[in-house]
Amino acid sequence: MSADRAMPFLNLERVIYTYPGRPPIVDGVDWRLEAGGVHCLVGRSGCGKTTLLKLAAGLLAPQSGRVQLWDGTPATPGPQLGYVFQAPTLLEWRRVIDNVLLPVSLQRRPLPEDIDRAQALLAMLGLSDYAQRYPRQLSGGQQSRVALARALILEPALLLLDEPFAALDAITRGELQDDLMRLCRLRKTTVLFVTHDISEAVYLGDRVAVMHQGRMAADLPIDLPAPRTQSMRHGAAFNTYCAQVFEFMNGARA
Amino acid sequence: MKPAIPFRLLSLALLVLLVGAWEVTVRQAGISALVLPAPSAVAKTLWTSLATGYLWPHIGATLAEMLLGLALGGAAGLAMGVALAESALLDRVFKPYVIVSQVVPKLALAPLFVLWFGFGMAPTIVMTALICFFPLMENTLTSLRQVDPNRLQLFRMLGASRAQTLLRLKLPAGLPGILAGLRVALVLALVGAVVGEFIGASRGLGAVIIAAQGMMDTPLMFAALTAIAAIGLLGYQATLMLERRLLRPYADQS
Repeated sequence: MSADRAMPFLNLERVIYTYPGRPPIVDGVDWRLEAGGVHCLVGRSGCGKTTLLKLAAGLLAPQSGRVQLWDGTPATPGPQLGYVFQAPTLLEWRRVIDNVLLPVSLQRRPLPEDIDRAQALLAMLGLSDYAQRYPRQLSGGQQSRVALARALILEPALLLLDEPFAALDAITRGELQDDLMRLCRLRKTTVLFVTHDISEAVYLGDRVAVMHQGRMAADLPIDLPAPRTQSMRHGAAFNTYCAQVFEFMNGARA
Repeated sequence: MKPAIPFRLLSLALLVLLVGAWEVTVRQAGISALVLPAPSAVAKTLWTSLATGYLWPHIGATLAEMLLGLALGGAAGLAMGVALAESALLDRVFKPYVIVSQVVPKLALAPLFVLWFGFGMAPTIVMTALICFFPLMENTLTSLRQVDPNRLQLFRMLGASRAQTLLRLKLPAGLPGILAGLRVALVLALVGAVVGEFIGASRGLGAVIIAAQGMMDTPLMFAALTAIAAIGLLGYQATLMLERRLLRPYADQS
């Protein structure tokens, strides 16, 4: 990443967004995302976190305020961004490998290098044997992994995830969290991870931002050792952070 | 799927039972062959009319009209469905006309078509095409509109063009619905072809029925009906096989 350390990778300034006929769902948010960091965004259902993610992706345009990338350009949807949805949203009529290659094949005919890269990603996610299967033949966790591989195939500088593991059981979710971290640390991808699960946010994040009623209630640094392990979840430091986030999420200290 | 074969046997046994009851009733009650011929008489007429080659050209004519009408009307319905689904303007301008053209019973237009296109296959094909148009248009329109919004957002995110979104997302995602429309259209096409032949044709199974009525040859009428039923069954089975083949990846599999 050639982004200047002083400049945030993605900068949101006084961003307001309102769906017609309702009070603002995102109400004056300032937020700086550092390059290469993992930024988690937590909040209760309906607090505006998914809307904020779509604003960051450029899928929505703010009514006022700015959403800027490090080079001063506004955020626009495109292959420079990876996006993982709440559901895997795979194309069930294409094989797994074609689903992973979709972002490439929409731009150009996939080259042998692209196919190798897709195979390598699938191998890292433990899905080598499933490349020629159809998505419906895979379990929920495997489908989520394919969606993750698809988001990473073009090696985007920014990866946006919208509660991607919410529908998975605790053990599968833990495995996927570790897979995600491994892949993103390797490429120094900047990550914006939206979740309503506090422990997931603390486990994954370098920083955890808390949203409450359309506003940013807090942006806490999480100072836990770098390669996180599932056993940390039971440590005292981890739980202190969780309690802190919980209070902000409740709006107690906002 | 173990019970599949016993069920099929049961259904075959019911057919044998019904045909047997028909045979016995006709013989016992001494019903004239002019009113209701016995199945054995129908089978005999069917066999001789096939063996002498009398029925074959008529079967060929009906099949040709049905398939040509289905191809023309189906293709037009598909194209119109895509156009209306893609363009709100076209939808608003054309939809009232399309609906009016469909509520007018097309069978009532048959005499007009004979006037315009003369006797022979042309008026029947036009009418069959008009009948096939609607189910395919309606199903295509509905299927394309019902594409999962998350998948649409994914394609937007990946910078897909409108044509790519249509060809690589909407049409494949709508394929199950479109094929269901094709199945309905095929059944209607057979009705359209036969009724068209009633009115303005000298060839085809519909014309055979009218001619048999004129000759008071009721067994021949039943023979033609049997042939029509066989065509319908085979056509329906063919669309089911096509669906099973094309939709294999869509089905849940372990």
